[in-house]
Amino acid sequence: MPAIRRVYLDCSATTPVDERVVAEMMPYLTGRFGNASSVHFFGQEARAAVDRARREVAALIGARPNEIVFLSGGTEANNLAIRGICEVAEAHGRHIITSAIEHSSVRGICEALEKRGWAVTRLPVSEDGIVHVEDVRDALRPDTVLISIMLANNEIGTIQPVQQIGELVREERSRGRKYLWLHTDAVQAAGRVALDTETLNCDLLSLSAHKLYAPKGVGALYIRRGVRVMGQNVGGHQERERRAGTEAVPSIVAFGAAAKLAREEFDGRNRHTEKLRDSFEAHVAARVPQIVFNGARAKRLAHISNISFRFIEGQSLLISLDLEGVAVSTGSACSSGSLEPSPVIRALGRNDELARGAIRFSFGKDNCDEDVDYVLEVLPRVVEKLRQLSPLNKTQVSSFEFRVSS
Amino acid sequence: MPYSATFKDHIARPRNGGEIANANAVSEETNPVCGDRLRLSLLVRDGRIERARFLAYGCPPTLACGSYLTEMITGMLIEEAMRLTRRDLISGLGGLPARKHHAAALAIETLRSAIESGCSELLTRNQTRAV
Repeated sequence: MPAIRRVYLDCSATTPVDERVVAEMMPYLTGRFGNASSVHFFGQEARAAVDRARREVAALIGARPNEIVFLSGGTEANNLAIRGICEVAEAHGRHIITSAIEHSSVRGICEALEKRGWAVTRLPVSEDGIVHVEDVRDALRPDTVLISIMLANNEIGTIQPVQQIGELVREERSRGRKYLWLHTDAVQAAGRVALDTETLNCDLLSLSAHKLYAPKGVGALYIRRGVRVMGQNVGGHQERERRAGTEAVPSIVAFGAAAKLAREEFDGRNRHTEKLRDSFEAHVAARVPQIVFNGARAKRLAHISNISFRFIEGQSLLISLDLEGVAVSTGSACSSGSLEPSPVIRALGRNDELARGAIRFSFGKDNCDEDVDYVLEVLPRVVEKLRQLSPLNKTQVSSFEFRVSS
Repeated sequence: MPYSATFKDHIARPRNGGEIANANAVSEETNPVCGDRLRLSLLVRDGRIERARFLAYGCPPTLACGSYLTEMITGMLIEEAMRLTRRDLISGLGGLPARKHHAAALAIETLRSAIESGCSELLTRNQTRAV
């Protein structure tokens, strides 16, 4: 049996490590294996590499190198940001403003804080999947200490008005408010929209390496100079006391190399994925009836397309596509084990059927036109097959029996 | 746990999808927790399931259970079909993750309610005869 063609359209879940990144990190697995905290030659060699990587990651987001804390990934970055600031700010207030479409890690941390007596306001989004700045202003209370709004959504790719929220925070500060901080989860946005922490005016910003063609298990948190967070890992002096634990030197080196490439190839990559994504969407709209595109079309990341297919369930579509070699995701990859329809799609005001039938296609720099052609060959056929099996699709049932019966 | 080859085969090539126009036993059940839906239509003659068709909306196990069930019950006496359990379905499909067992439960429930709706008389008559 010939091997089936495999097309990977799940670059928002993770990306393959770029071979140039592998080449950069390899020496740090073997010959340059030192512990970056060691004083000897080996340690200093590792320290220099970590510092170089720190400069690259900082450059990607317009930050200073000493504002970057390396850690294990996006989830840990969100944990350190939110828990770290809340533990410091507790004496000044116990209210957080966040949105209804945050990544499950931010949702989870907020729920945990709620159980400890914190108040959490979860702002709704409009049908286009974007938070309103006025809603943030209205939700501000005297005891609000943290606003955590993602930069771009992981399921529908919509870009949130973090810069305007940053201006709001700046205004509040100019009125003498001292204890209000802004965190943004930029895991999906990094390398895909131009980021500048000065323009954004955020205090904390989360990054993950494996969405940028670097390995899993490494990420970073930007902590604005002068902002104090309570370390969540203790027992070592690494990362200026903010994250104890031996630095994962090879992974950090890889993250730095990937950040450099993401900056240098920013325009090319984004133009490429946008072209593929737009062509894909135009053809799907022409070939597959009864679909709904989720999220704003303009204000979104160039590589994400999220589509609800009526009458069918996302996981069944996902596995059927997978059996034909096409890898996509439904809801957030983290929540695919649960029975709940995607909270993000529900937040857009879609009903359960549309929320359960939502699929995310996320393109990457290594996808090509032939990948799109192949998906366009498979997708309409698979959707049609599942719709013929669907009891929700009453209109097609009557003529169907004759076609499928053996 | 990964899905078995049998399971994947039922997803890739669902058996007996559709409805039977002159079915004499039909049922559609919904899992109240997850909203999964299964519709079965059966043609029963002389106490035996001659044909079975299914329609399903839901997660992959719901589809696979619908497909596998119709294959399993075709040619079966209704009394035998009434004795099937979700374990029979799960083992026939090469196992299902525990959190997906509800799909097999939905399939068995739909089968029983279809038979009871269409063949209750037949069931009673046969049971009486058996006594």
